[in-house]
Amino acid sequence: MSEKDTKGRFSGIELEGEKTFEFVIDEFSPISSMTIIQAEDVPAGPLDPKEIALDPAARDSEVEAGSQVFRQLAAPKLPELSKENRAKLLMQSPNRLYFYWSVKNNPFQTLNRAIGNKTNSYVLVSKLVNLNSGREELNPIDADGSYWFNVDANSEYQAEIGFYAANRTYIRVMFSNKVQTPRKNPSPRAASTAEWAVSANKFAQVLDVAGFSQDAFDVALAGDDWDVSEKATEIAFSHFTGGVEDRTTGIESGEIRFVMLALASGATLESLRWRISPSLFAILQQSSANLNIENALVALQDQFDFDADEIIEEEISPAVFGASLINFPRTLKRMRNLTKINPVSSSDRPICATG
Amino acid sequence: MPVGYFSLILHAHLPFVRHPEYPAFLEEDWLFEAITEVYLPIIFILQNLHEAGVKPRLAMNVSPPLCEMLADELLQSRYTRHLEKLLELAEKELRRTEDEDVEFQDVAGMYVENLTASLDLWNIKYKRNLVNAFRELQEEGVLEIITCGATHGFLPLISTAEARRAQVHVAVNNYRKHFGRNPRGIWLPECAYEQGVEDLLKDAGIEYFISDTHAILYGDPRPRYGVHAPVICPNGTAVFARDVETSQQVWSAEVGYPGNAVYREFYRDIGWDLPLDYLKPYLGSDGARKHLGLKYHRITGRDVPQQNKQPYIPALAREKVAENAAHFIGERIIQAYKLRETFEGHPPLVVSPYDAELFGHWWFEGPQFIDFFFRKLYFDQSEIEAISPGDFLDSGLPIQVQQPTASSWGESGYYKVWLNDKNSWMYPYQHDAEKKMTDLADRYAEPTGLELRILNQMGRELLLAQSSDWAFQIYQGTTVEYSSRRFQSHIHRFDLLATGLETENPDIELLSEIENRDNIFAEIDYRIFRTQ
Repeated sequence: MSEKDTKGRFSGIELEGEKTFEFVIDEFSPISSMTIIQAEDVPAGPLDPKEIALDPAARDSEVEAGSQVFRQLAAPKLPELSKENRAKLLMQSPNRLYFYWSVKNNPFQTLNRAIGNKTNSYVLVSKLVNLNSGREELNPIDADGSYWFNVDANSEYQAEIGFYAANRTYIRVMFSNKVQTPRKNPSPRAASTAEWAVSANKFAQVLDVAGFSQDAFDVALAGDDWDVSEKATEIAFSHFTGGVEDRTTGIESGEIRFVMLALASGATLESLRWRISPSLFAILQQSSANLNIENALVALQDQFDFDADEIIEEEISPAVFGASLINFPRTLKRMRNLTKINPVSSSDRPICATG
Repeated sequence: MPVGYFSLILHAHLPFVRHPEYPAFLEEDWLFEAITEVYLPIIFILQNLHEAGVKPRLAMNVSPPLCEMLADELLQSRYTRHLEKLLELAEKELRRTEDEDVEFQDVAGMYVENLTASLDLWNIKYKRNLVNAFRELQEEGVLEIITCGATHGFLPLISTAEARRAQVHVAVNNYRKHFGRNPRGIWLPECAYEQGVEDLLKDAGIEYFISDTHAILYGDPRPRYGVHAPVICPNGTAVFARDVETSQQVWSAEVGYPGNAVYREFYRDIGWDLPLDYLKPYLGSDGARKHLGLKYHRITGRDVPQQNKQPYIPALAREKVAENAAHFIGERIIQAYKLRETFEGHPPLVVSPYDAELFGHWWFEGPQFIDFFFRKLYFDQSEIEAISPGDFLDSGLPIQVQQPTASSWGESGYYKVWLNDKNSWMYPYQHDAEKKMTDLADRYAEPTGLELRILNQMGRELLLAQSSDWAFQIYQGTTVEYSSRRFQSHIHRFDLLATGLETENPDIELLSEIENRDNIFAEIDYRIFRTQ
């Protein structure tokens, strides 16, 4: 859905049990100034046209001697972005989205007409909604700008612009398009037909020969029974963090195992900040007292059968010749014998909620 | 049946750089260097292999902007002058190294020999048009030429379905113009994929695309044969994904072949070594030093400072490249047996895509590697067969249905290189232009002749602004000013044209000048941007 889909004028909408409104803002004067919220990463922005006003190849004499058209084209400048309602969400990576927006006319004037002097308690906000989990993130914003969101992989998101006031009805102004973040590890699902079905152990070998040894290790670890491995992961993580089990709802179990294995191999939590979902990072931050190599190892080995010396050490992706920036996968320093890893489903070790 | 199949895929692309408004322009050297160092040698080698009965077989993307530049008379004429000057410099160097720098005499002789041969090939054999040479190689069964996005636009970051469709359909029409048939495959710009792209491709009659490894490995359901067999999307479009092992063997700066000590050092160039007065006739009008393409040193060692590099010895490098090609084939045989065992008898396919410019420009000995590779593949073994992706589809081997996942082949595997703090400012302008293009294409159902010219030129400007090369170079920090300027120029020109159209006050002189400069896609029809 885009800003074009924003319709109606103060039509009440029930969304996820929450009373909201949406309206089109037009026929009003432009916004003069509002609270400016600094985005986490401020875009560098285009080069100032004044700084590169003339084509470097165009010597002054050439420009002076050129026609009006020549001079016009020798000093390119970006047009003013027209005053429009914009709300565009773009995917940068499984854990990061870029949102840019602008509001055509002063939304506060419209709001003021509708609710009078109660306007003062409202602020304009961006709201990012995880459409799978229902989680929301609100940030006060200016009438136009951009923002980077840290998000979960394998989830659908939509951003919106609206008015927020504590203990009052949230009022929606416009929606962005929807964006699906990709998963960042193998699918848990094998094909259902016999011709293409592949066991976890076999698929781990397939990943290994493809150079994705870290994913291979995890697939072998998780085994064929997805429900069992999900539960084992949940328990291991709960023991590791000393928390309750339901906090990981919506976080992929592969990512949880990755984090625990990385911490067990000596990685620091900070080094994982931009590589894992923000919700998982937040849980780990809250449990920082428990985060050490030994705890991670004990929690994992209690639920998964593998040797301590098989813990992952990640290799840095090599640089490449030439001008390209090619992606290489996460790999292990030492090749593992994948057949040594006993998936949960075939392990003799009982899955034990109490460890 | 061989133990395994191998598909070499070369991606030949440069952004459209053509500046008729100046007598010479530094960035046009990108094309000229690539012609001398990459395209001419590769064409020559493949033609020789074919004539020798060696039956080389590979796929190659010759991107639409590259085709348009190779077929452009102005650039052909400028390249001829460039090559003649370079040969003149090489001959001057041959004389100079007789008296001084004697240790470089052999290499100077090699350049004279190579450049003389290149000039003959360019003028006489290929008649200054390499598109025809590529076309001939396709007709001879050597190349399966595939297309790309019209201007290498990063499809997932294009905001409208119409603008995405235009990138694909303009490319396909351009391919027909240059190669006289429909393309079977496409190199998705930057291998950037998200769900839904396959529908655009199918609509344009494209059978397959190239993706990065994790598009398939992380796809759903799990691919039984990993990346060593293609998959087909639910809509029937096939996907061939990159093999990591072969990427690293050739491309890695740490373990890749090009880093060998005997190979030519890229960064040590006479443009930086010799006195300015001596070089002046071969530099740009600003007289600034630049790479001239004549390099006399070998890599020598990874940590050896530039000033301590040893002289390049072509015969040593040739021995090493033959050895590397043999090693590469040996590794493919080992890999094929291992994969076949893992796959319980199913024949594996290793897909190895590379930037074509790696072979010859960055890795000077790269074209020789291709030469030795195909010769040894033909004469020295029978386990591996070189095929194209189209050949694999024709083989009738069953293919698993799978939904690939969003990905690109760039750093970190997603879209970070093309969307980050340094270049995110570009997208609101690009997206506005995309929306405006469709609005105007819808509105002008029956344009006058002048309106048609304006709308077609607006389409060209939008496509040129979308080129992923600008965002890439801004992120990478190379030619940031030129790339920013190019993006701003195309958006500016688009805006000037749109304003003239909408106010019914077009500036015909301005239109003619823009048409003259940005003359890509003469065949374009703006109606491709209409809402469907």
